[in-house]
Amino acid sequence: MAEKDERSFCKALFEGKIDEELVFPYPHLTGEDAENLHLIIDSVGKFCRDKVHGEAIDKEKRIPEEVIGGLSELGLMGMIIPEAYSGFALTQRAYCRVIEELSCFNASVAVTVGGHQSIGFKGLLLFGTEEQKQKYLPRLATGEWMAAFCLTEPGAGSDAQGLKATAVRKGDHYLLNGSKQWVTNGGLADFFTVFAQTEVDVKGEKKKRVTAFMVTKEMAGITIGPEEKKMGIRGSSTTPVIFENVKVPVENLLGEEGNGFKVAMEVLNSGRLGLASGCVGAARTMIETSVAHAKEREQFGRPIAEFEMIQEKIARMVVNTYAMESATYMTAGLADRGDVDFSLESAISKVFSTDRVWEVINDALQIMGGNGYMEEYPHERFMRDARINMIFEGTNEILRLFIALAGLQGPGEKLKEVAQAIKDPLHNFGQLADYAVRKITSLAGDRISRADSLLEDEYRRVEEYARQLPDAAEKVIRRYRKKIVEKEFLLERIAEMVSDLYVMTCVISRVTSAIQEKGVDAAETEIHICKTFCNFAWRRIRRNNRMIDRNDDKILVDIAKSTLEKAAYPV
Amino acid sequence: MNIIVCMKQVPDTAARIKIKGDGKGIETSGVSYVVNPYDEYAVEEALRLKEKAGGEVVVISLGPDRATEAIRTCLAMGADRGVHLKDPSFEDADPFVTAQLLAKALSGMDYDLILCGKQAVDDNACFVGPALAEGLGIPQATVITKLTLAEDAKSVTVEREVEGGREVLQLPLPALVTAQKGLNEPRYASLPGIMKAKKKEIKVMDAAAVGVSGDDVKQKIETVSLSPAPERTAGKIIPGEPSEAVKELVRLLKEEAKAL
Repeated sequence: MAEKDERSFCKALFEGKIDEELVFPYPHLTGEDAENLHLIIDSVGKFCRDKVHGEAIDKEKRIPEEVIGGLSELGLMGMIIPEAYSGFALTQRAYCRVIEELSCFNASVAVTVGGHQSIGFKGLLLFGTEEQKQKYLPRLATGEWMAAFCLTEPGAGSDAQGLKATAVRKGDHYLLNGSKQWVTNGGLADFFTVFAQTEVDVKGEKKKRVTAFMVTKEMAGITIGPEEKKMGIRGSSTTPVIFENVKVPVENLLGEEGNGFKVAMEVLNSGRLGLASGCVGAARTMIETSVAHAKEREQFGRPIAEFEMIQEKIARMVVNTYAMESATYMTAGLADRGDVDFSLESAISKVFSTDRVWEVINDALQIMGGNGYMEEYPHERFMRDARINMIFEGTNEILRLFIALAGLQGPGEKLKEVAQAIKDPLHNFGQLADYAVRKITSLAGDRISRADSLLEDEYRRVEEYARQLPDAAEKVIRRYRKKIVEKEFLLERIAEMVSDLYVMTCVISRVTSAIQEKGVDAAETEIHICKTFCNFAWRRIRRNNRMIDRNDDKILVDIAKSTLEKAAYPV
Repeated sequence: MNIIVCMKQVPDTAARIKIKGDGKGIETSGVSYVVNPYDEYAVEEALRLKEKAGGEVVVISLGPDRATEAIRTCLAMGADRGVHLKDPSFEDADPFVTAQLLAKALSGMDYDLILCGKQAVDDNACFVGPALAEGLGIPQATVITKLTLAEDAKSVTVEREVEGGREVLQLPLPALVTAQKGLNEPRYASLPGIMKAKKKEIKVMDAAAVGVSGDDVKQKIETVSLSPAPERTAGKIIPGEPSEAVKELVRLLKEEAKAL
């Protein structure tokens, strides 16, 4: 898992390399997996059409028991659990597709199912011992037990290192104390993955380190607080969970003591994919409903679908949705390989999809006109439901920093080596040569050879900007050295550049597959989507690249500062 | 208790149907297919009977390659095995030929009860079930809303909705019944069911295996033409004060629409 020598498409991009083999051909499910998925999606869709009533769930602020029970019976609570523990061992791609389908109908339901397995028990699945898995997974797979992920605290959100909860070792158990907030599934869960500070020996010194625990509801000292009153996803349960002197047996330690931060990060890495796929589902529903309206609603004697400003919105929704979908399922495919680091790609999928679904919903609502603003139509609810996506499971801001900084690590390390090497050229010749070689291969060899020639303009752009990304990276590292971590304007631009490059590649790969499978004529719309998306994307990349040197960052900071000083509108 | 369910794969009821250029069939590209909804009631009823009385549920379907998927769906719901009647010469089978082919294929099988949907929602012929019962020479009851198996498992009692009332019939087994909406609420194929279905057998029978050739499969009923339902015309808005508008509405309903 994200070990050093694992391949990573986006990290390689920072070195100017396009690791084609990771992204071509597009990782569509095939054979039996595809057939099974088809049956599953049919069944889930049918169930949702019959039983999931989004408007009522939103109004009553709860999901009927019949629905949760029905989803459990369908087997949706144990999708990603191996068969040995009574689960169904679905691939990430299939799992994401189911979450997408649920999200077409209702975000609260998708968040409940996703919160359970994308994050709730994911730590156990990734880091649990055989014994721990045997003990808990079968009950979680059937939905007899629901799971929740307890990381966030009143004082620790994006800064997960600042946790206040503590667990003190007392013989055969730990004494757990702390308050968690905004816990998804808090009111439903029987199983909690909890993060708390423990004292760990680091080279003879006692240090505070985050550790992950599995806590179950029957342990004394757990209080579930009242349901939060939320803007959206109102049917899902979100509560505080308070732990007071909870005796957690030593065998409920998850992973190694002091390793909790890594557990949390790994869980969120794959959890984010579920979120991204949920955005695809919501976007599909928005397209369907607004397009139906545009064809029916007549103004000035004809359907509004005939007006270009409406058509523009329809096209934009489709392009955005296709791009989100392409990135999300490409990344899920990378996750399914099991041998690559997909942490940047999943963060990109989350940030990109959650930002774009907001635009899609905005476009759909606008097409609906006044109707879109009314509760009788689903659009205002979808908008409220979607807003959380940009905030939870890592705010889009913190994830952009992560994307940029994790990417810069590679070039950064090498610069240190190079700086050292220059002082003592002979002694460190090996390293220097290696660096030089890398430079040469990245300049000479990094081409895309597997994309369809119809998309040549597009993939040449990827090549062009993949060559510029390492230059941009090296430039900012040289300029700011260690201070680069504070330069968020620049980091955001770097994150945007690599995101656009990745999503372009995903779209090109998928459309290439479409051309091969269906032929050019049948893939025409997809080719158009690809061209449109790539045209917008490379222009954004070019602009972001230019703005590394020429920008208004300083003025913006000044405006912000004078506003902060007055703590009000400064003019 | 061995039960056979006859199932047809039909275009998704939500699919937009386009008529082919020759006016005698529909465009099939881009259309998604599902298990005929009335056949789902039949499958569900068969599964419930099996759960009570034991035995085996076999799903039989006549159709092209893609019909395998619909059979798989029924297996995922819980049916034990499938039989797929598939042969290039079956492609144009009309309801009459279909019933005859099914009768041929079933004549060698062991069954106590045959369940069909009351009609397939694509051609709405309501033909195959009754014709199959005739072909097999067994009693039948159509459009049933309730089915009870006798204690001795030698007969079934069924209820049918008839104009203004209800009819109760008893049939000795083996018999054939066709299912109406309301008979039950079909279950959803679950993940465990789908995983199990992978291991279940689907036996393919071609013309030779069914024991038919030439004239047996020749269309007896010819489709002369298909045409789409007329497009909905624009609605009419009646302006003016409500009391006036209502008068006008009543007049229009009486004189123009002749609805009153």
